Amino acid sequence: MIVCAWIPRFELAVAAGGRAAMAGPLALAPQPGNAQVVGEVSGAAEADGVRPGMALGEALARCPRLALVAPDPQRVGDAWEAVLRSLEGVGAAVETEHAGVASFDGGTLLGLYAGSEQRMLGAVRGALEHPARLGVAPTRFCALAAARRARPRRAVTVTGGRAAARHFLRPEPVSLLRLRAGTRELVAPLERLGIRTLGRLAALERPALTDRFGAAGALAHRLACGEDDPPRPRRATERVSRSLELAESADGPALERALGALIDQLLAGAERRGRTLRTVVLSATLASGGTWRERVALREALADPERLRLALAPRLALLPAPAEQLRLEVERFGPAGGDQRTLLSEPIARRQARLREAVRQTRAAAGERAALRVVCVEPGSRVPERRAVLAPFQA
Amino acid sequence: MKTTALNLPRPVRVVPGPRGAPQRIGGKPVHALRESWLVEDRWWTERPLRRRYWEAVTAAGADVVVFCDLQTGRWFSQR
Repeated sequence: MIVCAWIPRFELAVAAGGRAAMAGPLALAPQPGNAQVVGEVSGAAEADGVRPGMALGEALARCPRLALVAPDPQRVGDAWEAVLRSLEGVGAAVETEHAGVASFDGGTLLGLYAGSEQRMLGAVRGALEHPARLGVAPTRFCALAAARRARPRRAVTVTGGRAAARHFLRPEPVSLLRLRAGTRELVAPLERLGIRTLGRLAALERPALTDRFGAAGALAHRLACGEDDPPRPRRATERVSRSLELAESADGPALERALGALIDQLLAGAERRGRTLRTVVLSATLASGGTWRERVALREALADPERLRLALAPRLALLPAPAEQLRLEVERFGPAGGDQRTLLSEPIARRQARLREAVRQTRAAAGERAALRVVCVEPGSRVPERRAVLAPFQA
Repeated sequence: MKTTALNLPRPVRVVPGPRGAPQRIGGKPVHALRESWLVEDRWWTERPLRRRYWEAVTAAGADVVVFCDLQTGRWFSQR
């Protein structure tokens, strides 16, 4: 039993400064340097025909009163983190793909609430300080569809197994696939082909969809058929951060110096307790208004300031405008001490160790056959297929 | 993990002429024949290998290498 909590227009509400400020037609402005399309839109803007992802020019043409709100990923990230911590506070092991949608396995939580689904959902609703819609279903995707159909104070529950999930999803629009990273790009081509509901998608042959759209096609078909992977909850850890006010709007070398100072402060902090850093979030308040946020998963857990600088400094080039404040936050710690390197380790041995680690991570992400090497067996053979073979790459 | 041979022969549809030279390869007419050679190998085993190779230029300008397996009469393309 998967529970999905969906908070509609979460990013817009946070960026606008609260739901009370969302009375008129509002939309999230495009991020500087990104595609000129609007983000989440308010109910009043939606009533005028403005949709998320619409080109800015078209949105303003449809709704001339439309007010644009500068995106604030830093505050959204903080607010969403607070929501996730509240959910974890009632015992939920949550998984989240983006701000506004969180799901967890409700079956493991029922025991805490005397087996009562209503009491559990009540506790979840109480933990969320925002008006949330709740959906309960056999799979994550179906629970999300149920949450989107739910009313503010009444959860939608889908009981049964895969067949019930498939039946529930049948009339839902294919635009729901936009909410999953792996199938987001499929919505427009499917709609162009006239496939507007998940029922029609499920009626197609899976091999044909895989042939046309690759892995994304197979995943979309699985989801439409009521199949999905179980949630992969995040690891709950404490957050440690450091921020620096920049006297003048800074960019370039000044920002790199500020980043160096933040790294040093973070590594010197007592709350680190000797642990390495695994995932960090670099964010900034922009001089032109709004904020910027970049999550960096380090290739290996680090506590070496020089290597952290090397890994993070290139991200500063992504800043769309000069910054007034820079913040570095640890999202996940690694093991204490990290890799113990030998005192006399040669540069060649270090490079080979990194290469081995890179190959290991590539195989973990893309399968055993992701790293191969060509081995010449009989280079002079007159039979071409005997000249070389593909063998596993071993660094 | 197993090794995989590179450059394995792939079946191709070939229309041969009266002397065995390909006239159409994969539906495309052959513009010119550049070279032909015979490969005989493993004749000392129970699975001997006899192939007549042709390097041809199709009307579309592609340079292709095909061979006829003289044991079975089937055609394959190979780079």
